[in-house]
This record gives sequence, C-alpha cells and structure tokens, in this order.
Amino acid sequence: MRQKSVVGEARQVRVATDLIRLGARLQVLESETKLSRERLLRLYKELVGKSPPKGMLPFSTDWFMTWQPNVHASLFMNIHRALTGASALEDADALVGAYRLYLEQIGILRLEPVLSVTRAWRLLKFFDCGLLTMAPCRRCGGHFVVHAYDLVKNYVCGLCHMPSRAGKTRAAGKTGTDPDFRKERAAVDGHSVKSGSVPVFPN
Amino acid sequence: MKPEQLREEIRETNLAYLMLAQHMLRQDRAQALYRLGLSEEVASIIESLTTAQLLRLAASSMLMCRFRFDDDMVWSLLTSHSRDGAVPAGMHASILMAGRPALAAA
Repeated sequence: MRQKSVVGEARQVRVATDLIRLGARLQVLESETKLSRERLLRLYKELVGKSPPKGMLPFSTDWFMTWQPNVHASLFMNIHRALTGASALEDADALVGAYRLYLEQIGILRLEPVLSVTRAWRLLKFFDCGLLTMAPCRRCGGHFVVHAYDLVKNYVCGLCHMPSRAGKTRAAGKTGTDPDFRKERAAVDGHSVKSGSVPVFPN
Repeated sequence: MKPEQLREEIRETNLAYLMLAQHMLRQDRAQALYRLGLSEEVASIIESLTTAQLLRLAASSMLMCRFRFDDDMVWSLLTSHSRDGAVPAGMHASILMAGRPALAAA
C-alpha cells in the first residue's frame, strides 16, 4: 500500500531507519511500515552497506521459555507494557522505544543483549495472536512470559527458582570467572528445546 | 544541619527534580512517563509549569519527589549480595521495577 502524504511517508522512513539501526530484519520492516519492498531494500543497503540477510525468521515460541531468553523477554515485555500503558503509541514506536530501554537496562547490568529486535518483534506478535502471555510469579509477584496454555496458578519464575545450571554457558565458561551469562546469539538462535513449563537451559 | 540549610537543600533537590522531569517530558513524553513513573495528569501539570511557578513550587518545605517502590522484594533484590553474583538479582529487580507502573495502570 502506497502512502499519499509526504509527511506520512517521511514518518515511515524514520521508523524504518530506527528499526534498521537496531538490527531489524527486512520482514519486520515490511510488517511495521507501509513502504514498498524495493524502497526498504534501498534504505537497508544505504544504512547497513550490504544486502539484508535472507531466509526465514525464527518462529518458535519455545525459545522464549528457556531460562535466559525468558528472563530477557520478560524484561522487554514489562518495559513494553509500562510504555504502552502510560501513553498511546504506534506499534512501531512502542517496539523501538521499549527495545531501546531494554538495551539500556541490559547495558547498566553489563550484560550482552540476548533478545534481538527481530525476536522482540516476534515476541509481540506471539502476544497479539495469543500464543504467549504473562503470568505473575507466586513468590516475587513479577510478571513473566509463559505459554498461553500453561497452568500458571502456582507459577514460580525462573529467577525465584533458578535452575542449577542457569547462565553457565560455554561462552561464559571461556571467560573464566566472569559471572556474566554471555552467549553467542547464533548459538541461542540455532537452538530449540522441548516445550514445557520447566525452565531448561540449553547448552 | 540548621533549618535554613535544610530548607535550602530541599529547595535545590526539588528544583533539580522538577527541571529534569520537565525536560524529559518535553523531549520524549512516553519514555519520560516510564522513567518518572508519574501519572498522565501529574505529568501534564509539570510539563505546563512556567519557570516562575517552578521556582515557587521548589521553595516548598516538603520534597516534591518520593520513593516509587514500596515493596520489600525490590529493596531486598537491590541491596542483596546473592550467592550467584549481582547479575541475576539486578535482572530480577529490573523486571519487577519495570512491571510496577503497568500494575498501577491496570
């Protein structure tokens, strides 16, 4: 669909620019802006200097259930909800705003971002279509990402009840005593584990 | 601390807080509401204050800002030294703190 208004189009380009700068894949841009595919491709090449990566996006809800991604996804969703709850925002603006605040908070904690902006967008889509939802933890009262059909009456979050090997990844092991649970994003993205409410950390 | 000195400190804190809040609200309203944890109404009032009003407000004998987390969990996480290091506790506190305004709005 073509935008007729020049101001409207300038806004769309700004949103697309923000998303590309944050590392979004082309599919995210196509969904969140009304710009044509060719224009988005041109914009992407201009900003990044190369063609966007091809191939399918990660599509599994299970990734968000593993320990570390769940914690990061929950932080992002809490920020997103607080932002959209306080003021009326366009979807794309809320995504960009919440993702920036997520990166900021992760930076303060001196962690590596685990959730990419494409994953964050995917997460919001899973919420929209009702596959994922938030459940309050019985112990701390915080809200965490869970499968929509899980039994959550006595839900205890992964941070109140830490699995024994939580955060002990190969990447963190390499750096010796570094307590940061660093992880190569590729390793996380390539992984899928069995579904279920038990927090399992893949290694 | 003498009473005059105390009042002066309160005035300076108030002024710094109100000016920062106003600046944040004018720059990016949505983000400011999240960071400040203020309601839409209070935010609008602060945003519309003139400099003279701001100075008069700041000169009050009471502090204009207060703690926004009144929950033991957040405090114990922020001040604890857990056995797994500060990172999980910091992350946990961040999640709980980010979730608070959403709860108030619901």
